[in-house]
Amino acid sequence: MTRRVFIASTLLAGTALTLLPQGEKTHIRVEPFKVIETVQKVLFPKGLKAPSASEFGATNYLATVTTHSSFWKDDLKFLIFGTELLMKEEPTFLSMNSEKQDKALRDFVNNSSKGENWVSLLLFYTLEALFSDPIYGGNKNELGWKWTQHHTGQPQPKKMWAEEIA
Amino acid sequence: MKYDVCIVGTGAGASGVAHTLTEAGLKVVMLERGGFLKEKDFSKDEVAYCKRDIVTPNLKESYHTIEALENGKWVKTPTYVTESSFFNGNIVGGSSNFMSGYFHRLKPVDFKLLSTYGTIKGANVVDWAIDYDEIEPYFEKVERLVGVSGEVTPYKYHEPRSTKEFPYPPLDEHPISKRIDQSCNKLGFVPYKTPRAILSKPKDDRANCYYSNYCGSYPCSSGAKGSARASLLQPALKTGDLTIITHAFVKKLVEKNAKVTEAIYIDTQTKKEHNIKANIFVVAGQAVESCRLLLNSKSKNFPNGLANNTGQVGKNLLFSAGGVGSGQFDAKTMPLKELMVEGLFVNRSLCDWYEIEKMKGGIVDFLFEHANPISKASKQRWEGSKLLWGEELQNKIFHKFTATKQLNFEVFNDWLPTDNCFVSVDEKYKDVYGVPVANIRIGAHPHDLKVAKLLAKKAEEVLKEMGAKNILSSMSSYPPANLQAGGCRFGNDSKTSVLNKHCQAHEVSNLFVSDGSFMPTGGSVTYTWTIYANSFRVGDYIVANWERYNK
Repeated sequence: MTRRVFIASTLLAGTALTLLPQGEKTHIRVEPFKVIETVQKVLFPKGLKAPSASEFGATNYLATVTTHSSFWKDDLKFLIFGTELLMKEEPTFLSMNSEKQDKALRDFVNNSSKGENWVSLLLFYTLEALFSDPIYGGNKNELGWKWTQHHTGQPQPKKMWAEEIA
Repeated sequence: MKYDVCIVGTGAGASGVAHTLTEAGLKVVMLERGGFLKEKDFSKDEVAYCKRDIVTPNLKESYHTIEALENGKWVKTPTYVTESSFFNGNIVGGSSNFMSGYFHRLKPVDFKLLSTYGTIKGANVVDWAIDYDEIEPYFEKVERLVGVSGEVTPYKYHEPRSTKEFPYPPLDEHPISKRIDQSCNKLGFVPYKTPRAILSKPKDDRANCYYSNYCGSYPCSSGAKGSARASLLQPALKTGDLTIITHAFVKKLVEKNAKVTEAIYIDTQTKKEHNIKANIFVVAGQAVESCRLLLNSKSKNFPNGLANNTGQVGKNLLFSAGGVGSGQFDAKTMPLKELMVEGLFVNRSLCDWYEIEKMKGGIVDFLFEHANPISKASKQRWEGSKLLWGEELQNKIFHKFTATKQLNFEVFNDWLPTDNCFVSVDEKYKDVYGVPVANIRIGAHPHDLKVAKLLAKKAEEVLKEMGAKNILSSMSSYPPANLQAGGCRFGNDSKTSVLNKHCQAHEVSNLFVSDGSFMPTGGSVTYTWTIYANSFRVGDYIVANWERYNK
């Protein structure tokens, strides 16, 4: 198991964890990712043809890319902050049915610009997960590309982050 | 060891010099801030190349401050706040690795803006120190060595050519190009076939274009794109006279008796400082960073920065004025089978308004919206000010990807040089190495926007005639970060310019600046062809005068 897969699976399994991007300590408690995973399911549910966020690995993607030094730390902080804000405003969000979650999320967006910015940012990273190369842990089985009949450019990356190929 | 020539940078402006000097047998060292990635390393990875600072410095490590007018005051904002980088490709070959390669030559009138059109209030327009004829042989050399594919389109403002045709035939075209031609013909416009710095046939070690559909913003995996690395540096390395030092951030040029003696650089991997000695130093780090280096190279003789005793370094910075526009096509306007063809190029421009009555105009390039799916999909999440998700968003994305195609246009016209567009350094803003970063004041002359809007109207007419829907255009005074020039302009008067006509510093005889910084006015086309051509010209001058420096 590589370090990043370990991190991703640990995050989702529910253990508190310390991530160390580039030697700088950023503490992520487990709950934020649980909230994020739940919200992503609402943002991108299983459609008639569209794959769901869980199917294409939206949260797994985020868990992978947030560990890299190129991930914007302000975005990471805001992603976590938004989960706290949502939990404050909608404490029962995680246990609601999907219809109620959708409604709660729409209220959350309409009630504050922070809420709207947070959902927009999380949606951005959800779409990044849907359409990025599967090497980053999202777009599982190229589900995003297949769904939209998109042909990616060749060659595809053999390594993440444009690293040199030995 | 002391090299003959040390070049700071490895992009288009650096590589023409390096190629020429090593061909003449001089020992050359190039200092590149980034790494050395080659065809085997490249891929079409949107996350790495388009969404993160991987091939540009991390903005927490280095950045710029952008100085814009807010409520009547000039306010500096670091780019790590706006998350909008003004770096453009820090790997061997520089930003030329990532260009789209829409190649247009300057026209003779671009060398004589002041004497042709006279002064414009608030703009520092001057004639160039050379005319078109002096650079034409080098434009031709670029066609051969860097590789330009195309077909000459006769029209009113076409520049004189010393050869009849391009050395490489045009690239394959998308079916929509014929429709642009038909519409242009109806409107009485000339559909100009856009030359591209992309090989349509193999050349030496470089394969021809394989129509990946992921061209601009990506490095080329076949070597077809005429990057400085693929076209000039890889052949130059074969001479054995070229050394490229990577991960080398040059912080200062040391001066003694009005000559540069050494370049001090930091190895960004080990963080250790090193120095390089040479007889001649050539700076080509792209306009903004070149100005920054000179401004930060202060000494007793040059308290305001190297070659800057007249205060001209950094002044009259140029971008490209203009903006973008678009129209939507679907099955109602064109059979879907034809419309959705991938990979082939549009390669059409409008150049009929290079001059508009008594005013300098510009050009319009047509191109499809980039295939990048992340960028395409993420724009769909907003419907006006409403955030979409769930089924509504899914339907919108599906339709966007499978049933429509967006034809864009880009307008290019002169960014007039003014006192409100320049590079400076400020001790308050330093990078991780303690070196002041470049501040870019981005004031634009209102004339630029006026011209851009006139050109946009012509492009909109073409889209309308083609039957496009939702035709939009947005001309803007905000500078495109990737189209930089000026800041060390050349001229015959040392009081109003930094460099002489050979791009040699007036005040420091063994210092040359060979990127786009030398340009006193920008012309109405993208800069790369001109930068390459001038780089060869500077290289020839150094070789011809080498004995003077070899002491």
